[in-house]
Amino acid sequence: MIRFLEFAGRPLVFFVEECGRIMLLLLSTISWMFRPPFRIRVIFKQMEFVGVNSVIVVMITGAFTGMVLALQTYHGFRMFGGESLVGSTVALSMTRELGPVFTALMVTGRVGSAMAAELGTMKVTEQIDALNTMSVNPIQYLVMPRIIAAILMLPVLTIISDFVGIVGGYFVGVNLLKINSGIFIAKIIDIVDLEDIFNGLIKAAFFGLILSLIGCYKGISTIGGAEGVGRATTQSVVLSSVLIFISDYFLTAVMF
Amino acid sequence: MSNLSIEAKVGVFVVIGIIILGYMSMRLGKLGFKMDKGYEVKVYFDSASGLEEDVSVEIAGVEVGRVSKVLLEDGKALVILRIDSNVKLRKDVKASIGTRGILGDKYVVLVQGSSAAPLIEPGGRIVSTTTATDLDSLMNVLGEVAKNISTLTRSFANVMGGEKGEASLRSIVDSMQAVAETLNRTVQENNEELVKIIANLSEFSATINEISSKINKGEGSIGKLINEEDTVEKLNGTLASLKEITEKINRGEGSIGKLLNDEETVETLNSTLTSINDYMQKQESFRTYLDYRGEYLFDSNDVKSYLSLRIQPREDKYYLLQVVDDPGGVESVTDITTTTNGVTTTEHIEKKEKNEIKFSAQIAKRYYDLGLRGGIFESTGGFAFDYYLLKDRLTLSMEAFDFDSDSNAHLKFKADFTPFKHLYITSGFDDFISDEGNESFFIGAGINFLDEDITTILSDLPFYK
Repeated sequence: MIRFLEFAGRPLVFFVEECGRIMLLLLSTISWMFRPPFRIRVIFKQMEFVGVNSVIVVMITGAFTGMVLALQTYHGFRMFGGESLVGSTVALSMTRELGPVFTALMVTGRVGSAMAAELGTMKVTEQIDALNTMSVNPIQYLVMPRIIAAILMLPVLTIISDFVGIVGGYFVGVNLLKINSGIFIAKIIDIVDLEDIFNGLIKAAFFGLILSLIGCYKGISTIGGAEGVGRATTQSVVLSSVLIFISDYFLTAVMF
Repeated sequence: MSNLSIEAKVGVFVVIGIIILGYMSMRLGKLGFKMDKGYEVKVYFDSASGLEEDVSVEIAGVEVGRVSKVLLEDGKALVILRIDSNVKLRKDVKASIGTRGILGDKYVVLVQGSSAAPLIEPGGRIVSTTTATDLDSLMNVLGEVAKNISTLTRSFANVMGGEKGEASLRSIVDSMQAVAETLNRTVQENNEELVKIIANLSEFSATINEISSKINKGEGSIGKLINEEDTVEKLNGTLASLKEITEKINRGEGSIGKLLNDEETVETLNSTLTSINDYMQKQESFRTYLDYRGEYLFDSNDVKSYLSLRIQPREDKYYLLQVVDDPGGVESVTDITTTTNGVTTTEHIEKKEKNEIKFSAQIAKRYYDLGLRGGIFESTGGFAFDYYLLKDRLTLSMEAFDFDSDSNAHLKFKADFTPFKHLYITSGFDDFISDEGNESFFIGAGINFLDEDITTILSDLPFYK
């Protein structure tokens, strides 16, 4: 009986401990944010890595998301003569959901995994301990810039993704499916609110926090050499993606 | 790319993102660069079902503002509209809730009224609202109809029986009582008048009595007519022949009988009656005036009276029929030469017949303020000019008639002034170039009635207070 409880309880205890450690990491990151020295250049370097270098991936994802969305909704709307709503459907879906979520997923795959791998390698090669001995706080020097960069860059990537997705939807709807371009745009303007875009961007910033926090946490808590680094990377991507979807639901419920 | 600094790369990236965000915001236009906040207008709807904040307000399909707030006030939906300041709304603008598209999105439709109406102030209210006929309102109407029917049946039930019906019956009786009381009071208050009326009536009946008794006794022409045996026989004969004729007519004998017994005739008669009816209706535009005037002639100390009937088929045309009682009368001069015993005496007799009755019949036509009259004036030919002043209240007239070869024409100048509706005063100079000494200054007064007025006065008189 006790064994059974131990068997059932261990993952639960592990989960609760993990949550606690992640929250503690977040809190210490926040507290280190306001303490000198401020290493702006390090933040910029991370911003380049998170934002600028992800732009091509995000644009391709966004464009094809918008295009396929236009194609799919067109067939649905044609059944009751609502083809003119394709544009607004694409725009609304992109700005509210698909833009932020797909961007976050792509960035998780590209950046979150890299963070976990990088920090994990530093952890197993004891570089983080070296930083500590040089009285450089590893949280301030490694974690905080990554989290700030992700929080700032995700909305920028998302707005680009939104725009490219709508342009992709426009291309498919107007050039391939012959929907009137004026009505296509007018319906977007008519139905999509600025609020939809902003809420999408807030979501994106939140996703940025999640993916960078998980990536950094998995990185600095890596144990077990090269194998451990690989496991940390995989875990960080899976956990980040799952948390992004879960939090997306609750954020949507709260915001809309 | 590689020779750009990290900051530059991140900067360009962020700027691109901000530009895209800015562009989309502007296109969506709900925050944008619109500095023009416009002004607010209130409107009350019975139902603002489906109306959201920030939906568009349109005039003729053009967006002129947005719904700012939808609130509840006194059971009605108070909708506050924010209208662009370059759009001016008139007071008689009509507001309704429109439905757009298959999904039934609601928006506010304004219909501008006339450009003459004053503008609505900011914060003002649109008074006129119409509910658009969508499915909701249709259901509302149906519901209302059902409600009305149920109220109707309920009120029937209430009227037919129950305490309420009793109460209403009682209230009816009460009000009847009140009416009776009022009537009573009216009689008491008007007692004097009533007594007078009764006295007049009794006098009137006495007179009639007298007349009928005279007739009975065979006095007077009617009495004789009735009391003479001969007349009665004649009358009997007449009646008999009348009977004969009507019988003939009944049988369809004779031309009248045929006429009357023919279906066609009836139809013709019907159409004739219709046309007569039409004609009578036209007659209503006719005005008939009765006019009495008396003129006091200073020189002869006499009163000259005129009783006239003025038939006015149109505003600018009338016919005048007049009876004149002229105290001057007709003067006849006769020389009687008698020869008695070789002495010839010539008697010069001037005979002035008093109270001569004369007749006038004239036609008159009016051109703006000038009227022309012509016809018979006091039994002789003549013509006259009238000039109307002060909205017809003052009339200046010049009449010329009696163009006899042996005396000067009769010329008359008069001025009629009407200070009150039916009463007028007159003054003038009669026959002022007379060579017979008839010239006289006169002053007088008259009453003038539209003959409907007479009826009105007669029927109203006892109740005048």
